[in-house]
Amino acid sequence: MTAETTVRSRQLSVRQTVAMAKRSTLEIARQPALIAPSMFFPIFFAVLSASSFSKTTSIPGFPKVESFMQFTLASTVVQGVLFGSVTGAAALATDIENGFFDRLLLSPTTRTGILLGRLAGGALFGLFQSAFFLAVLVPFDAPISAGIPGALVMILSGGIVSLAISAIMSSVAIRTGSAEAVQGTFPLLFVLLFFSSAFFPRETMSGAYKRVADLNPISYLVEGLRALVLEGISFSAVARSLLVPTAICIAAILFALTELRRKLAAR
Amino acid sequence: MRSSRGLALRGVRNLRRLPSAFFPSMAMPVFTMIAFAGTFSAITQLPGFPTDRSVNWFMPLGICFGAAFSGIGLGFSTIRDIETKFYDRLLMSPVPRRALIIGPLLTAWVRIAILCAFVIPMGMLLGVRFTSGLLGLFTLVIAAVGVSTISLGWGLGLAFRFRDMRGAAVMQLTMFVVLYLSTAQMPLPLMHGWLHNVARINPATNILRLARQGLVLPTSADYMSWHNTFGGLIAIAGMATLTLVFARRGLDKLNK
Repeated sequence: MTAETTVRSRQLSVRQTVAMAKRSTLEIARQPALIAPSMFFPIFFAVLSASSFSKTTSIPGFPKVESFMQFTLASTVVQGVLFGSVTGAAALATDIENGFFDRLLLSPTTRTGILLGRLAGGALFGLFQSAFFLAVLVPFDAPISAGIPGALVMILSGGIVSLAISAIMSSVAIRTGSAEAVQGTFPLLFVLLFFSSAFFPRETMSGAYKRVADLNPISYLVEGLRALVLEGISFSAVARSLLVPTAICIAAILFALTELRRKLAAR
Repeated sequence: MRSSRGLALRGVRNLRRLPSAFFPSMAMPVFTMIAFAGTFSAITQLPGFPTDRSVNWFMPLGICFGAAFSGIGLGFSTIRDIETKFYDRLLMSPVPRRALIIGPLLTAWVRIAILCAFVIPMGMLLGVRFTSGLLGLFTLVIAAVGVSTISLGWGLGLAFRFRDMRGAAVMQLTMFVVLYLSTAQMPLPLMHGWLHNVARINPATNILRLARQGLVLPTSADYMSWHNTFGGLIAIAGMATLTLVFARRGLDKLNK
């Protein structure tokens, strides 16, 4: 194969991936009823918690905050993105269920492009969600100490988290081929989120629960984002906000690609 | 009554035949109890918090959530029966119309008995202590039965009106919001702002007070007393009547 053919082949592969990404993004945008819960519920919980737990900021061990809303800003972003990322994977499972995925496999499309295109839609939705949550909540006594650079890091982190979770969920979709099974894994995300320091600081926890939160990677992700909100920009906060989800993302995409290869090999 | 019993038995048999439909209403209270009590364990340090054990505060919430989902779970079953046309056969049979509501109601109460028998011992293993003995257990179960009755009426009413699974989302969302906009997470005196005003007039606050009064400290204003009981009983009676009438009217519309 000549160098020119290789370049042309790569360009074609990128074009196919972009086309797939466009399709998955439009698919999400065209189904407002599907994405509304992942936009509405995190805001609802943030507003509810801000009112419920406003007095808890005086508890020993609680970080210095201007309001509970400021404390909960980071967890709202992560929560919304986690929930939203199920939508894209469920759509992939639906493609498998209704046979569209088989048609894609029969076409001269790169296998990686089929998957990455689908994941890109989820990542873009994650970016949009993060920006939306910040735009809605920051005016309500939840300033970001790291300013606009901090907000941009948070939005980027939201996109990477979405990509990572979409990849994990896509593995489930590829393995089971069932949208119901993908939706069924949703409670696991909920558990993962709750057994972390997303909703309350680890410093106020004790016993087995604290040990679980210490081991949960979501704790470190949320705390990185929270540090941007509460303390300002720092290398440690940016690294935790971006590196934790990136590490999960790389592992998850590799796993999803392995699942795809296994599915194709089984045919 | 025989028809109601028959329909109730069918609902109970479905617990065994379709455990996946009942599982969420069992898992939810356990998850709520463990996750909330662990996450928010420090809130008991707030001056004026009515108990020193977070699990005492959150177990009744978990049970009320489970009771609500038990009731609306039967709403889901009714939607399935309507979609599969089984309900048409029930409507054509010489079954009194009220049996179509009383039957599922009895099933909901059986579900609550199972739920309480599972969740309360588990809570006690996790550190729950009834501060007013068996009376506290009794008021908790009464509150759970009340919530399941209310949610069943609401679930059936919506099932008869929507007649497809669109109704399921409305059932879940409304019960979820009503319960959360109460003292679900914090006692009324420790709340702040708009939620305080909403929770104060939300009947679910009275029901949760009824459920929790046997689990708070004897020094607390929310401790077992008639004053803390009758508000909950009135809320249950009022809301249950409204939702069951809503269900009955929906059933009448389904007949037409």
